[in-house]
Amino acid sequence: MGVEIKTEHIDIGGKNVILASVKGGSAVMGTCSAGYGAKRGDTSALMRLFYIGNNPAAEILCPNRGSKNSDKLISLCTGYSFMDEEIHNTLTESFNRLNVGDSLEAGLHDILALLPDGVYTLYLSDYYTTDGAGTFFWGAYNLTHEIHGTAEHNRTIGKDKTYRPCFLIPGAPLDNFDAKTLPMTNEAVKTRAVQGIVYHLSGLHSVLLKGHHGAVSCTTAKIPYKCAVIEKLDEPYTDLYIPPAPAPAPEQTEPAQGGEAVPEAQQENPPQPQPEELPPREGITGFRSASVKIPLELIPRDMLRILLENRFEYKPDHYHSLIRKLGTVRKKSYSNKVIPHPALELAEQMPDCEMMESVFTVDKLTQAQLDALLAGETDLNGETIISPNFYSSIVTACNFLQFTNPKKFVEFSLAILDNPELYATHEYIANRISRITNKDVYAFFRSVLANDDPGYEKLRQIAEKYVALYDRQK
Amino acid sequence: MAFCDLKPVRINIDSTGVSYIIGEVFAVYANDPVPAVYSWNQIQTVVEDKRCITVKTENCDFVIPKKDFIQQEDYFRALAIIECAQKSGGFVYEHQRRILPLKSEYIETDPGKDAYTGSCEIDENDAASTFIMLMNFKLVKVLWLLTIILILLIFLGLHIFVGITRENVLYFIPISVIGGAILTLIIYLVCYAVARSKYTSVAGCDPAAQEPISFTISPVGFAACESCVYDGQELIPWSAFDYFIESDKMFVFYKDGTTSVFVPKKAFDKKCLGGISDIISLRLEQR
Repeated sequence: MGVEIKTEHIDIGGKNVILASVKGGSAVMGTCSAGYGAKRGDTSALMRLFYIGNNPAAEILCPNRGSKNSDKLISLCTGYSFMDEEIHNTLTESFNRLNVGDSLEAGLHDILALLPDGVYTLYLSDYYTTDGAGTFFWGAYNLTHEIHGTAEHNRTIGKDKTYRPCFLIPGAPLDNFDAKTLPMTNEAVKTRAVQGIVYHLSGLHSVLLKGHHGAVSCTTAKIPYKCAVIEKLDEPYTDLYIPPAPAPAPEQTEPAQGGEAVPEAQQENPPQPQPEELPPREGITGFRSASVKIPLELIPRDMLRILLENRFEYKPDHYHSLIRKLGTVRKKSYSNKVIPHPALELAEQMPDCEMMESVFTVDKLTQAQLDALLAGETDLNGETIISPNFYSSIVTACNFLQFTNPKKFVEFSLAILDNPELYATHEYIANRISRITNKDVYAFFRSVLANDDPGYEKLRQIAEKYVALYDRQK
Repeated sequence: MAFCDLKPVRINIDSTGVSYIIGEVFAVYANDPVPAVYSWNQIQTVVEDKRCITVKTENCDFVIPKKDFIQQEDYFRALAIIECAQKSGGFVYEHQRRILPLKSEYIETDPGKDAYTGSCEIDENDAASTFIMLMNFKLVKVLWLLTIILILLIFLGLHIFVGITRENVLYFIPISVIGGAILTLIIYLVCYAVARSKYTSVAGCDPAAQEPISFTISPVGFAACESCVYDGQELIPWSAFDYFIESDKMFVFYKDGTTSVFVPKKAFDKKCLGGISDIISLRLEQR
């Protein structure tokens, strides 16, 4: 049976969303479960794989019995050395099509055919070329370690909000990096509309399928790294039913003598019958991916059937050969390839996972809310500002400001650091603020060093480093 | 999740025109063009009885008659999906007696290279004879005692009703012995019938009794599952069982003092039985 790919544009609150359904996909690329205990016999951690063709590309260790609230431990598989040529060619062709002006659905058609059956959403989004912790993504996954922001249900964002994944996992090992390609990509990225193609893997992280060298060039040239994103719609969600507020009763008008008074407006527009209040619908509201929630009513019927009549994840036909390859180690188990230094340095300055979590958590922070937080409050006018937890609120507010308004971030952070009652947050805030070069921050850290206050004890080391670096730069 | 590869099952109820889909979610296509879709944590109870599967939500009860499953395989798949969903969804699951462990007990794991696999139907006679063997274990000491008590009772009865004299005592002793033995034999036969019916009543409730069953014995765990739903990647850890008994035809695993699973030896190659015994006896106490 051939592959059947259908795409639909749907409108969700004025936002255009592209849905693509895949039926009969070859499933040569995707994720699958590798079971418990596959890694060192640990039966409390579920192992998942991201595979490309016949190769397991990335191991994803999901602790706490695969809990969706836990960050994953991710590394590239030790035996993975290159992508199958056929898949590589398909990716290159799609990438080229996207860059000659093809629409997302046309450009990604051949890649969708490589995926397992399901419904996907396609969009363009800017990505940061890091692992979410300031390390350039390409070399960041050689060792298995916990990657912050990879939990499906992010604790800061909450499981009800949507977010845009924005960090990368390489789809090719670092050994594939070739410095000789860079001059070509340095030129090419200047004119490309789409710099990469990514497949959303987990939480804030996506696997880069195409555009690795372009990522190096974009980072070095400070060009936004815009990617075509493929994201699977694979989670049912239920929105809380909030019954509509009852309409206010019309004001009583005194009846005029000899008859009933009818307000003027009512004379022109006779009262409309109130629509009957619908009872809350039982069951789920719809299906969601990381970035979009789609109510059941808006999902085209045939796509809904695909969602309901398929599992969210299947083991591919070549599952057993993938598992057999898991333990293999490529002959050259380490890479001596080096990413150009400017790219590594600039990656460190990119927003990190904590900042992005805050951006997706907080919609807006007013001065009054910031003042309330500084006064030690978590509520303003009876509404929770960010979270009932004060420490979490301060941290989230700082990270949000660091991304959206660096000037206000400095003011707010220094105000926190000046307040001895907020001592519990000082070390974290000092660490965050020490990443930016600013004369007010410098003055604050100088004062910390000049002050013998035991309250500043924890900040002294950070201050010393900052002042030394600032003086050197000056 | 174990059995995550099972394809969802669609059941069309011809009489009502309603369709159900049992998969990642539970969906009901009724008159509305948009189906009612429930995630498994929104399900309150699933009841499996002789004729149907009833899925209960907060406001509705959905009854799926078993006769509307097109194939037996669909039924087993649906049940396996429900049992796995029960583990994550946490709903109440009421079911008939089973000859195989519930799918919620399985974890997804690789059996490894040292695993032994086999497949066969559980033969009713083998299972019944194992039940009887187990019964014998318990009854054999009691039967001797029972025989002696019955002999004495008959002897006493004869003495009360007929009266024992020097002349008839030589007749009454063999009569008492033979009478006691016959009564014991009758009691034994009743127990035999009870033991046999015990298996047949369980087997009667569970259609898996007529299905080929796949067995896996591995150092990591064990599996006994309908072949049509098993893909060899799910095991029940040994820690789920307490002890086992080995008969000439079967291994029987126990949990909380009751029989949990029968594993017929004929499912495996004869030459593997030594290795299988080793794996089991290293992990479970033998009684």
